[in-house]
Amino acid sequence: MSFKKTIKLKTILTALLVSLLSILLLKVITQVPLTSQALGITLLDLNRDLTHSANAVTSVVTYFRGLDTLGEVTILFLSIFGVGIGIDRSTQMKTILHYDNTLLKIGAHVLFPVIILFGIYIIVHGHLSPGGGFQGGVVIASAFLMKFLAYGDAYELDHRILVLFEALSGVGVVVLGLLGLLSGGLFLSNVLPLGRLGTLLSGGIIPLLYLFVGLKVAAEITVLVEYFLRTQDARDA
Amino acid sequence: MLETLNQPTYLHFVITVGAFGVFAIGLIGVLVKKNLFKIFLSFSLVESSLFLFFIGSHYDVGKRAPIVADGVMAFDHRMVDPVPQAMILTTIVIGIAVLALGLSYVVRYYRLSGHTRIDQMDELGEAS
Repeated sequence: MSFKKTIKLKTILTALLVSLLSILLLKVITQVPLTSQALGITLLDLNRDLTHSANAVTSVVTYFRGLDTLGEVTILFLSIFGVGIGIDRSTQMKTILHYDNTLLKIGAHVLFPVIILFGIYIIVHGHLSPGGGFQGGVVIASAFLMKFLAYGDAYELDHRILVLFEALSGVGVVVLGLLGLLSGGLFLSNVLPLGRLGTLLSGGIIPLLYLFVGLKVAAEITVLVEYFLRTQDARDA
Repeated sequence: MLETLNQPTYLHFVITVGAFGVFAIGLIGVLVKKNLFKIFLSFSLVESSLFLFFIGSHYDVGKRAPIVADGVMAFDHRMVDPVPQAMILTTIVIGIAVLALGLSYVVRYYRLSGHTRIDQMDELGEAS
């Protein structure tokens, strides 16, 4: 078996041009001094007193830049909405990637609750360890991906429950923000007792906020996985 | 040799050069490839080079993750800046969302026309 590979002149020229541009840009970038860490040090100092969250990245994501996270979740929702416009409800879609394997089916059946539990663990420990809503949500979605791979078309998602989870968690983030606006005068400011640093019930609204974000991300990525796995029209096959 | 590489200046230089290498590969893919799917994957590669550069340039040798756990009792100044990491977390999620939207359009374009090559696109009749 022989591979006959021809490379066009245009490809070589483009590669050379991009490499030249990258080298020129690199020369500029390496001469710029790195910024000082003043902002990070200030935030670490603030974090000690204001949030009582053991993970400083989490407190930056959900507390100091909480409005940003709300916008980010909105962007994710809008993207899933845009994907959902393309779904044709009138035709039955078939799974394109599916292994008919008994071992995989039994394994998926056994591992599914364990992976869900692991995802929830990552979500609720987001303010104590590396992890959080986005990572745990993707882990939960991977459990559904395994179900799709093992069972194929036989596995049906209940979309009403998914939409309910997504909508309720989105509403939950906004309600938490409005509660902060009513009590503290700032959107997404803290309304709950802070607790002791390093325990599970600490950090004020941060674990609750990350739980909502995690459920929302899990529902959205699950819908995404289902869309990209079921792209084949059942009439063609 | 290894101690030399562990100095911040060399470390940042290596990370910057590597990130720009990935950036150049992704940009070449965007410009050269004709398959829509490969173009979107090249965009994703360019994105990941930015993540690498941003996180790597804010790392210093000997600094810890900004987490109080495993014997670290309090926040101090020997921790890395948490702001770039939080920003890159945001950027990764937005990158996934945009990539998913783009790829869903590729799937729909394939259903419409039967191919995904940009040099065979003729929906507006510009070839004739």
